[in-house]
Amino acid sequence: MFHGKANESEISMADIITTTSPLKFLIGMIIISLSALSPSVFAKQDSKIDESRVNHCYVDDLAERLKCGFISVPEDRTKPNGKQIDIHYVVLPAIKNGANSEAFLAIAGGPGQSAIDNAAGFSRMFSKVRQKRDILLIDQRGTGRSNVLNCEGEGFEEALSINEADFDVTKETQACLDKLDADVTQYGSLNALEDFESVRQHLGYRKLHLYGISYGTRMAQLYMRKYPQVLSTVTIDGVVPMQQSVLAIGNAINRAFELLIQNCDENELCGKQFPNLKGDLHKVDAELTLKPAISQVRDPLTGESTQLTMTRSKFMGAIRMALYMPNVRALIPHAISEAAKGNFQPVMGLYSLTIDSTGIAMGMHASVVCGEDWQRLTQEERDAANQTYFGQEMITNFEKSCAIWNMPAVESSFSAPISSNIPTLALSGQIDPATPPSWGELAMEELTNAKHFIAPYATHGVANQSCGNDLIAQLVDSGSVEGLDRSCLDKDVRRNFYLNASTVEAIPDKADAPKETKQADTRHTAEQGDSHD
Amino acid sequence: MISNIMTMVRKELIDAARDKRSVMAGLYYAIGTPLLMCGMFMLLIGQISSPEDLNIKIENGERAPDLVKYLSSQGITHGDEQDKSLDVKDIRLIFSDDYAAQMAKGLSAEVTLVADNSNEKLQNSIRRLEKNLQTYSAEMGSLRLIARGIDPRVVQPIKVNVEDQATPDSKGGVILGVATMTMIYAVFISGMNLAIDTSAGERERNSLALLLSHPVSTRNIVLAKVLAVTIFAMLGLLLTLIISKLSYSFVPWQELGFTVSISTNFILLMLLIGLPIAIMAASLQLFVSFMAKTFKEAQSYLTLVLIVPMMLSMAASYNIAPDTLQWLPVSGQQQALIAFIKGREIPMLQLLLSSMTTLVIALGLTFAMEKSLKSEKIVFGL
Repeated sequence: MFHGKANESEISMADIITTTSPLKFLIGMIIISLSALSPSVFAKQDSKIDESRVNHCYVDDLAERLKCGFISVPEDRTKPNGKQIDIHYVVLPAIKNGANSEAFLAIAGGPGQSAIDNAAGFSRMFSKVRQKRDILLIDQRGTGRSNVLNCEGEGFEEALSINEADFDVTKETQACLDKLDADVTQYGSLNALEDFESVRQHLGYRKLHLYGISYGTRMAQLYMRKYPQVLSTVTIDGVVPMQQSVLAIGNAINRAFELLIQNCDENELCGKQFPNLKGDLHKVDAELTLKPAISQVRDPLTGESTQLTMTRSKFMGAIRMALYMPNVRALIPHAISEAAKGNFQPVMGLYSLTIDSTGIAMGMHASVVCGEDWQRLTQEERDAANQTYFGQEMITNFEKSCAIWNMPAVESSFSAPISSNIPTLALSGQIDPATPPSWGELAMEELTNAKHFIAPYATHGVANQSCGNDLIAQLVDSGSVEGLDRSCLDKDVRRNFYLNASTVEAIPDKADAPKETKQADTRHTAEQGDSHD
Repeated sequence: MISNIMTMVRKELIDAARDKRSVMAGLYYAIGTPLLMCGMFMLLIGQISSPEDLNIKIENGERAPDLVKYLSSQGITHGDEQDKSLDVKDIRLIFSDDYAAQMAKGLSAEVTLVADNSNEKLQNSIRRLEKNLQTYSAEMGSLRLIARGIDPRVVQPIKVNVEDQATPDSKGGVILGVATMTMIYAVFISGMNLAIDTSAGERERNSLALLLSHPVSTRNIVLAKVLAVTIFAMLGLLLTLIISKLSYSFVPWQELGFTVSISTNFILLMLLIGLPIAIMAASLQLFVSFMAKTFKEAQSYLTLVLIVPMMLSMAASYNIAPDTLQWLPVSGQQQALIAFIKGREIPMLQLLLSSMTTLVIALGLTFAMEKSLKSEKIVFGL
């Protein structure tokens, strides 16, 4: 990114974060999405597929020509002659052309992310699968190019200075709903599933291999339930089990915070540098809960002078988002420690990553969560969620927004575990801040031909952070989970934590750096010499 | 007259078939070349692609444990040279002694990469290492900015979107270009032995005078010989194509990011385009052989003469040809074939014209042969 190689920059947060100005929403959002997929770092682009070239197109960060198109489906499946919406898809053709009777369908997370926007990431991640099979990406209804349900706020000029407590969720949600030209109740997972199946039939694939990341795992599981006959293999990565309401994510976030502190304490360098990390975190959290810290800062992007209202919401939200990415996660201890000293610069840096990315279509997000997760939340679950800061924020926000969104609840059978004998690989990251390994275990309940692997050093999205993608390629090739060996996931890929704003390597003491002192000494002598003159 | 010629063609073919060794010699090329090409490509792909686990020599790795760990997660690790079981590439990565100190101050820490960039076998591995180092550097750079409250996007002022217009077929075009060259060459090589045998050879066996003394016209004899050699050449071409189609599917082209396959359409087009070339090759080879005094002499002359079509073909496949070459025989047809492979429009005018020229040359040579066979000097090799 620095040295002219734009495609190789690796930190990418753009995709996990959401939405424009409804900052409160950010905290309230579930955001179980494919975090690390986008290879183009922070650059968020709205790539439009050129419709005039019907059969081939280009997407961001992929130079090659792809096959793309769309099918028109009724918005309301019960009214075939009613309003039609276009469901767009892109095919990354197999390198070895030949019998393309099977495709690998990769389903994005969010809910509300565009699979096509992440084409480059999928292509890189599944290059081995692509040797022999087409990779099919579909923008789920309400996302990306398929009648996207975006809630554009007033912009982010005030993103740094706003106090989220002043934010009126009800009003903003209503404004968003009024602006959308869609029957939002039609944008749940079940309708989207029919779209996926229609695209499969349209393209004439006999069988599909599924890959679902995060919320995409719900789509994959629904596919297993409804159309098992067209599936060869399934991989669910960062699993949201059918039995689980995603609104319980608060506990998972808390768990990830604790694991971070534990990891730092156990790391020799980090533990030494930040001996009081847990205390620092609680100190800042408590202070900001009382009142936000207000200061004058330079805007991270424009460099203009602006006010930063560091609220609890910004602080906790920025850290939560940083937990998704192993490389950004490494900066958190330093950021917390600085914040405890009253320097919010690093936290602001982390926070600015979360501001203006439009990775998640808010409207579609609300349609899914309100219809499929909000209503099934029992009182006990609600009480449990209220125990954590994030859970509480989410309950409060969705209470307001779901009242406006007014989604009909899915049937209770929706929450039944998936029972299937399709070869299925479930992947969980041990330090995942969204979908903990216990959720993966829950999904395994009635899967009779499945394996659940936990990657000890991965966050959200195991395939992108480990040899998980190779395991998937192996599964797709062999069509069976039998030969899969989890041992490569144990390879220690943990990176050092940042010890200051610059380094991850042990900071040498003065005595350890003879060259440094020597240089300093010479300069010193020279100065002395000068002064003598 | 037709049956007359056919009888003689049959005679020539039976003659040729009797001499199994020269038949085989002709077909060795047709069978062997595609297989050799495949073997070569497999070897090449194996050598230039970087191994999954790349072992290099990392010196002072303890100064930068995080970077070493990152490289290892990308499959690049330090390999002990003493360990004979490891394939340790001759690439050295040396960390400077002030690496950690520079890093801690927010400066650039120095890493030295020592390798021979002209070594093709290493190039991909070197590039892979460089790419990973750059990725690591860019990632750290971004995080350093974030730690200072700056959005890393500000240091990426330009984002270049590349739209590559190559199709999967055209990506393999370079390789198929070389392949078509060997195929065109098959036309020349396959019939060569027969051409020499049926001209200079027949004269050496003293059966040419006998043949000429029969009540058939010299023209028919020449035509029959040309036809026989052409049939042989086409047979060689067909064999080359079939074997190429089969064997090319075994080469791991996907390692190069594209695929090379020989379609049935290509085979048909190649046969169609190859026919006039085969006729010309046959008449050329017969003409030269008749001019030579002995079998041996014919062989050496032909080898020299064949350089001309080979140069034309090479010029076309390596795309070093000036535009005029596309109107000439052999190179014109080959450029049309390459255009077809790359999915471009076939230049019909050039193809027709170069095919016509080819046929005209063939006709001219045949007539010249007919004329020369009336001279005793040629018939008896004096």
